[in-house]
Amino acid sequence: MATRVEPKIAVGETLPSFVKDISQRRIDVYSGVKPNSIHSDEAWARKKGFSTCLAQGMMSTAYVSQMMVKLLGPDFARGGTMSMAFIKPVYAGDRLSVHGVIKDRQSDNGATRVVVEVWVENQHGDKTAVGHATGLVS
Amino acid sequence: MGQSRTLVEFKKLTLDSLRVGEEFVSDDHLVIPEDIAAHAFAVEDDHPWLAEGVAPPTLMANQALHLRHSRYIVHAGLHARMEFNFLEPIRLGMRVRTRGKVVDKYERRGKPYMVTEYVTEDETGRALVRGQFTQMIIPEPEASHGHAR
Repeated sequence: MATRVEPKIAVGETLPSFVKDISQRRIDVYSGVKPNSIHSDEAWARKKGFSTCLAQGMMSTAYVSQMMVKLLGPDFARGGTMSMAFIKPVYAGDRLSVHGVIKDRQSDNGATRVVVEVWVENQHGDKTAVGHATGLVS
Repeated sequence: MGQSRTLVEFKKLTLDSLRVGEEFVSDDHLVIPEDIAAHAFAVEDDHPWLAEGVAPPTLMANQALHLRHSRYIVHAGLHARMEFNFLEPIRLGMRVRTRGKVVDKYERRGKPYMVTEYVTEDETGRALVRGQFTQMIIPEPEASHGHAR
């Protein structure tokens, strides 16, 4: 992986947000299609009290990873961290937006660790996942 | 066959049946291009991972999340928290497995939770991703909500 030139990363900077449309097809590919799964079996999901199938919370960690890779490059996979709490369900048909704000820059063994507050919102403006991600810049 | 083999009993997962300190290990998984292509489609990731021969950092996250299914019958659950420490990239062609250990179980607001530490390794045992996750346990009788997987 090529070393990336440090982007201009300032505390307080808002990262470009992006949108994800959560289709059943994408949930199926992510979670697999199984009977008696609230992710892929709509009748089962309804039986469990949900209006339709749910996306795995883990899909939101992939979105945050994408945001960090856009910021820092694929070297996020070497030294990056992420901590997320899943606070509301995400349903098939939801439209999510992924957000990040740089909260800190810390010295880390001769490099700089960037700390980003991250969250995911649904189309109603409700946060569905919140947390922090960090990564190293040269 | 002259060898005796130990049968693993799959217990129903409850806060009582779960043992802190219990260890899990996944099957091995060979990372192939289709894994990365499927993941890219599922989460709409347009980064050229395949061209770089590297996997998205969270590619094997479900291998960790499903560890408890290797020893328990899991009626339903809810994924509450997930932590990753990305140490080395997962690359195409790697044979990876995830090991886990239950490090805590507790009840909060009447809901049972379990906490698992995990490490995803390559075929040489080199750690690629470490972390911890928290899952709600929803035992069968009172299950009305939650992730079935």
